[in-house]
Amino acid sequence: MQGMMGVFRELDAATDAIRALRQERIDRITAYTPTPRHEFEEAFGTPASPVRRFTLIGGLCGATFGYWIAIWCSDYWPLVVGGKPIASWVPYTIFGFEVMVLIGGLSTVFGMFANARVPRLVMTVGYDPRFAQGNYGIYAEGSQQQLRSIEDTMRRAGAVEVQGAR
Amino acid sequence: MAMRNYDEPVVDAALRRPNIASADIQLPAVRDYEQVDREIAGTLAPSFGWFGALGVAILLFLWGAGVWIYQIYWGLGNAGYAPPVMWGVYIITFVFWVGIGHAGTLISAILYLFRAGFRTTIYRCAEAMTVFAVMTAGLFPIIHIGRPWKFFWLIPYPNWRLIWPQFKSPLVWDVFAILTYLTISSTFLYVGLIPDIATLRDRERNPVRKQILAVLSFGWRNSDSEWRHFTRAYLFLAAFSTPLVLSVHSVVSFDFAMALAPGWHTTIFPPYFVAGAIFSGIGMVFTIIIPIRKFFNLKHYVTLNHLDAAAKLCLFTSMVVGCAYLMEFWVAWYSGNEVEQNYFWNRVFGQWWWAAWIMLICNVVLPLSLFSQKLRRNTVWLFGLSLFINLGMWFERFVIVVPSLSHEFEPWQWTHYAPSWVDISLLVGSFGWFFMWFLLFIKQLPVVAISEIKEIVPPKMRHAHGAHGGAH
Repeated sequence: MQGMMGVFRELDAATDAIRALRQERIDRITAYTPTPRHEFEEAFGTPASPVRRFTLIGGLCGATFGYWIAIWCSDYWPLVVGGKPIASWVPYTIFGFEVMVLIGGLSTVFGMFANARVPRLVMTVGYDPRFAQGNYGIYAEGSQQQLRSIEDTMRRAGAVEVQGAR
Repeated sequence: MAMRNYDEPVVDAALRRPNIASADIQLPAVRDYEQVDREIAGTLAPSFGWFGALGVAILLFLWGAGVWIYQIYWGLGNAGYAPPVMWGVYIITFVFWVGIGHAGTLISAILYLFRAGFRTTIYRCAEAMTVFAVMTAGLFPIIHIGRPWKFFWLIPYPNWRLIWPQFKSPLVWDVFAILTYLTISSTFLYVGLIPDIATLRDRERNPVRKQILAVLSFGWRNSDSEWRHFTRAYLFLAAFSTPLVLSVHSVVSFDFAMALAPGWHTTIFPPYFVAGAIFSGIGMVFTIIIPIRKFFNLKHYVTLNHLDAAAKLCLFTSMVVGCAYLMEFWVAWYSGNEVEQNYFWNRVFGQWWWAAWIMLICNVVLPLSLFSQKLRRNTVWLFGLSLFINLGMWFERFVIVVPSLSHEFEPWQWTHYAPSWVDISLLVGSFGWFFMWFLLFIKQLPVVAISEIKEIVPPKMRHAHGAHGGAH
């Protein structure tokens, strides 16, 4: 599918363009911004990131594994001292906690990569190095008939440059 | 009294205010994103001074590495151990470097969750410091065991020996805590670096370097979707790192508190160690950031307001540490235990008085100067004080480790301890190792977080309805 890439100098111009495009039922829109901005999330109306689920599941698996490895090893190679318990949950909480943080943290990063489709082996259509520096970019995909309307909408919103990209 | 000494000219009349100490994050001399990119990327160009410093660091590291090989060949008898003082400089230096590693995550994670704006300009430096300090710390238990090739016995994995680590031993707790801390703090540092590496990639003209940076940035392209998941992941990593910071030095303190030596077996150790770690780490942050802001021309990023706020944190943690010192004496007196009382008397007025007074003066008395706003904003004073804090915190660990072992329950066991040249060489070598990595880091990757600084700079707007702060 073809698309149009618009370059914006101002933040509100870029977010206005997103709102206008969405009103025109253009749904395949990607915004590029040098910094994370809440304004884009509001313009897109995106739900909360699902990364938190990866964190929760990773943390629970880590805590379980941390306790399990300590208990299982103690049971496999018991050191019976003074009638004290072979598997003692108090010191083993250290393992439960540390492995929870370890696996939970790593799964959070995995969740970020999986959801954001990173790593990318090739630069995607519609990206311009200027978007890492000071400009905002909007890349909107549409049918051949919609491209003209997308370009007009971007220019009306304040795009300083609009070009076709595929 | 209103003083006007912002380091750089103020560009916006609305921001021209008296020099009120505050932790606000406005950077009046930073105008736009292009300036941020240009100035911070500009710090990556190597200089003669940097090469000189790196050369010294490498020489110190090589000296330490050579002496370690010597010790491995001739045995641990070359370290200054004098039974029953079988923990010495290596364990002291291990605790010292783990402590240094704590301020980084405190500044990057805990202050992030508390929305303390002054962290933004210094956190990258502190995070890198954390990773390299923990890397340094991790070497010392391996050096201390004398036969470093047997270190892997501490890792629980199915093996032909059919034995497993003792999970009730604080030394195994240390392995889990330190390795988790190293992994998570490295991950936290690298995740934060990804957008900045992408910025460097887009500015780079050399095709080989551009390709390397493209790989290192994982093809990051600043899309709304990437930022949405990035900010959430960063928040959760910060949330995980926060209790981790508190747990790691608590676990390190258990190495002592679980033993029945006088001065060690006390429940105050975990909070005492955590406060000390944060205090020493902030001291090292000053040691590093003050020369960097001067030699990299970053005074308008790392402003006096930021240093002032960090100095207040330093003062606070110094007072917590001072309170813990006093509490130790009180616990010994209140316990009615003669051995404890005798030990603490010996620590401050007996055999180890000089070490204890170095600790008290450097960690409690000198930081009281930070009650003065003038001194909090005097970078020469802050830098000098930070060196004393580093010294004092190394001696704090000396005072914890050595006096307890040299003055235990039986008077016939009382002895003296003095580090040997091998101990001192490995201590000096550890500084070479740490600064070698740090100096390499600051010329390869941005020492100030580009994307987070851009969040502070107000974005260009068509309409004057203002946007402040990003989504971080």
